[in-house]
Amino acid sequence: MPSIPIIMPQLGESIAEANIINFLVKPGDTVEAGQDLIEVETNKASMTVTSPCRGRIEKFTVQLNESYAVGAALGHIEATNEEAARLGLAICTPAKAGDAGHVSKPDANGGRNRVRPTVRGLPVPANAAGASYLSPRLKARMIELGLSAADLAGVAGSGAAGRVTVEDFEKFIAHLEKQKISQASSMRVAVADAMRRSWTRPLATVGLPVQLDALLAHRKASDPKPGPALYALRALAIALSENSAPAGRLVGSKIVHPSAIDVGVAVEAEDGVLVPVIRNADKKPLKELVPHYNKLIELARAQKLPAEATGGSIATVTNYGTFGLIWATPIPLPEQTLVLGMGAGRRMPHWDEAKDRFVPVMEGYLTLSFDHRVLDGGAAGRLLQRIVDLMSKPEKL
Amino acid sequence: MLQTVSDTKPVSVRAGEREVHLVAYRFMLLARVLDDKFASLWRAGRIHGGVFLGRGQEALSAAIGVSLKKGDVFAPLIRDAAGRLAFGESVLDAARTYLGSALGPMRGRDGNVHRGKPREGYLPMISHLGAMISVVNGVLFARRMKGIGGMVGVASIGDGATSTGSFHEALNQAAIEKLPLVLVVADNHYAYSTPTSRQFACENLADKAIGYGVEVQSVDGTDLNACLKVVGGAVARARAGHGPQLVVATLLRLCGHGEHDDAGYVDPKLKASPVGRDCLKVAGEFLLRQKWADTASLKTMRDEIVREVEEAVAQAQREPAPDPFVEDWRAISTGHLNEGLEQG
Amino acid sequence: MSITYLEAIREAQAHALRDDPRVFIYGQDVGAFGGAFKATKNLAKEFPGRVLDSPISEDAMMGLAVGAAIEGMRPIIEMQFADFSTTGFNQIVNQAAALFWRTNVPCPITVRLPFGGTSGGGPFHSQCMETVYAHYPGLIVLTPATVEDAYSMLLEAVAIDDPVIFCEHKFLYYHLKAEKLPSEALPVGKARIARVGRDMTIVAYSAMVHEALEAAKELSPEGWEVEVVDLRSIKPLDTDTVMASVARTGRLLCVGEAWPWGGVTAEVIARVTSEGFGLLDVPPQRLNAKDTPVPYHPNLWTAHRPTAHAVAAAARKLLRL
Repeated sequence: MPSIPIIMPQLGESIAEANIINFLVKPGDTVEAGQDLIEVETNKASMTVTSPCRGRIEKFTVQLNESYAVGAALGHIEATNEEAARLGLAICTPAKAGDAGHVSKPDANGGRNRVRPTVRGLPVPANAAGASYLSPRLKARMIELGLSAADLAGVAGSGAAGRVTVEDFEKFIAHLEKQKISQASSMRVAVADAMRRSWTRPLATVGLPVQLDALLAHRKASDPKPGPALYALRALAIALSENSAPAGRLVGSKIVHPSAIDVGVAVEAEDGVLVPVIRNADKKPLKELVPHYNKLIELARAQKLPAEATGGSIATVTNYGTFGLIWATPIPLPEQTLVLGMGAGRRMPHWDEAKDRFVPVMEGYLTLSFDHRVLDGGAAGRLLQRIVDLMSKPEKL
Repeated sequence: MLQTVSDTKPVSVRAGEREVHLVAYRFMLLARVLDDKFASLWRAGRIHGGVFLGRGQEALSAAIGVSLKKGDVFAPLIRDAAGRLAFGESVLDAARTYLGSALGPMRGRDGNVHRGKPREGYLPMISHLGAMISVVNGVLFARRMKGIGGMVGVASIGDGATSTGSFHEALNQAAIEKLPLVLVVADNHYAYSTPTSRQFACENLADKAIGYGVEVQSVDGTDLNACLKVVGGAVARARAGHGPQLVVATLLRLCGHGEHDDAGYVDPKLKASPVGRDCLKVAGEFLLRQKWADTASLKTMRDEIVREVEEAVAQAQREPAPDPFVEDWRAISTGHLNEGLEQG
Repeated sequence: MSITYLEAIREAQAHALRDDPRVFIYGQDVGAFGGAFKATKNLAKEFPGRVLDSPISEDAMMGLAVGAAIEGMRPIIEMQFADFSTTGFNQIVNQAAALFWRTNVPCPITVRLPFGGTSGGGPFHSQCMETVYAHYPGLIVLTPATVEDAYSMLLEAVAIDDPVIFCEHKFLYYHLKAEKLPSEALPVGKARIARVGRDMTIVAYSAMVHEALEAAKELSPEGWEVEVVDLRSIKPLDTDTVMASVARTGRLLCVGEAWPWGGVTAEVIARVTSEGFGLLDVPPQRLNAKDTPVPYHPNLWTAHRPTAHAVAAAARKLLRL
């Protein structure tokens, strides 16, 4: 009776091996064509290897929790001649033990189980097809003009799989040169670069409304008056001092924890944004921070911030409400995981359960944008809720 | 070339048998002392690469050198230390090449026996045996085209080289063109370790001559007197226009193929037979018998030679080695046609 | 009046013999017979004693040439077919090529090799030998593709003091004609832009230049303008001209009639990739003959070597990338 090998399938482009995690049948079992035989796990997902034909499991030649190469024989099925012929199956003599193309040992078969490259013909790198492939010549031209891949976002690629060829690029540049061109300020270029670098991460935003009546009353009664963003800043600082994990940074597979709760505030300066920083914002109450905060804002607007007043913050607050916006999804600084945004307050109807009617309240939105690699919606939501709670008791900030 | 090494005045070949023998003997002794010196330097680790001696073949080789004159062409081979010196090479240049001096004729680019001065008619061998014969042909051919006559070209080979295609083509070519070539075959019975029974099937190498249509003479290579007569005679016949001359000399190599070889394969019967005689000893005894020299004069000669060799070797060792950083790494003489690849 | 590639070679030799008494020609059947391809027709008569028949002894022919060169002559050795030069290989690469470097004495010889394939030639009358000779230091290797270059480059070869391997393409001998011989030419060592283009550079030499030009014609109606570079000399190789062309086009295809392992196409690509990496918009490619001896049957022969059509197909692959 012919012996049909069970072969590790190609489980996805660029997959080279998979881990055996479960045998679903045992030697001696009769199986049908297409029946699940072995569960395997790649670094992307779990899958099953199915039977190539109807027959009886002769044996498995692989071990649990070991990795085997794509194309390796995992075992054999004894099938009838008719079954083998019907399906046009390749027959082979049962492999010897240790012969299964086990990836943790050198391949003694000299290539019988070797991995074949999936890209043939012209050697375009496997991960390079598509708009992300920049040829050496294109890269050289981009370096020459000080451009990055983000600048090519508007360029339609005419090359294979939509690749931007150097001709597409030169046409794009030539076209640009025919348009009205003005020099971007160095501030704009710096902000552009920061935003581009930030965007390389998967960012998400959660939002909650916050009632502002208490805060507005507190502010009216204070002298000097704290900027509205300072309330949010203090709330964020306190919340992070209780749990700083959301402000951690992911580098590779490590989380880098913040060492001090330094929080920055975004200030619109000519043609860009500056971010002065309140150091150890969790340690001083709001009242004591006001003069320092106001001074920083003034200096920022005048673009006269000293070096030690910027940089090193672990999160930033931005009050986009000053532009009249009620909602926005700000982008965190590239070196930060979090940015807390404040929208403009509006008089909104709020259902008062006790009074059994709508009552007017001042309400604004807080939006928290975050690096989704470091925290998920749940943690972001909890942090934002805590901030909302803290901001509803401004006298405690 | 007929000149004593200690002074540069050439001595005419017609100076008489005694003079010729003494001059030839001196070159033999000089070659032997120099070869021994190279052997000892090699065993002291002072010579890089191979050392190839001509011990046992000095008579034949010296006979070639003293039979030629300025304007002739000589392509010596591995065992021709004596012939090279007799043709005009200085001891210093031989030492320089072996010791890797940047001032030697090959400037460190080639070494040991692969040395010469092509423009002076002294052709530097390449390692492929038999390959130099057609080059000698070329020089003679070109001179004839230019209308120059009266010269002779000698190519020296061993029994092994007679098996090469190059030997065959070149001897054939010389015969067709009737060039004044003298091809001297030193049949020393072994090509490295291969005995002549595995090198050719004819009775005698001299038998090949008829196949090429050339004249041939055989000679006892251990006998200086015989070598001078036969080699001198062949050179004269070639010079006189009788076409290529084959000279087959019988002798034995009295050293290994190289100093790295102990020649353990040599048949002891051969060593014990007349062909195994040391030609230097034979020549010395001949001089004494003829009363052309006495023990004292031979000793004086040897002492002078030893001093000369020591001095030359010492000088060569003081000279600079080639410097890879100032070396001109270009193989094409036309400057701008060198590519300058990998010049790092 | 038109002159063939072969006639241009004969004219150049006549010119050399006339102008320089040091020149002579030595090869099989070159004398009264005028050579297997008639490259020396009537020259023996016009220059008595200077166009001489050799025996079938490539080794001795080359050795003689070196000896003559040492003596100050400028021999031209005609190999009957490039394929036969292998029996003289040792003398070419170990004697001639090494002479100057070893001894400081230049070796002004010219070795003429009828090379390249013709239909029915078979394995031993079709080989391209430029690669093996270019590999050895000390040799200059030339591959004229035009009638004009066959003439002027042979004249320059004889005048150069170093050993020149002069590769004459047998197919071009009678198939290529020009109106007249040139009075001036690009020097040895300089490549020529055979066709100006914009979208791709095809580097070729000898007969393949003509295939590349045909391929360029095939691609033009499709909107692609291909630049063709005729290398002219393999060694030294004009990297600057090739680089400048790739700087203009960003795409490189090298075509050679020789076998695929190593060789001119590999050498050009190695140089462009290491010195001009930032010039390439697509990976450089090469097209060579199949990795087998050259077949005899015309069906096999036409499939064995790059044709205009194959060159165009390879070019298209790159142009669409």
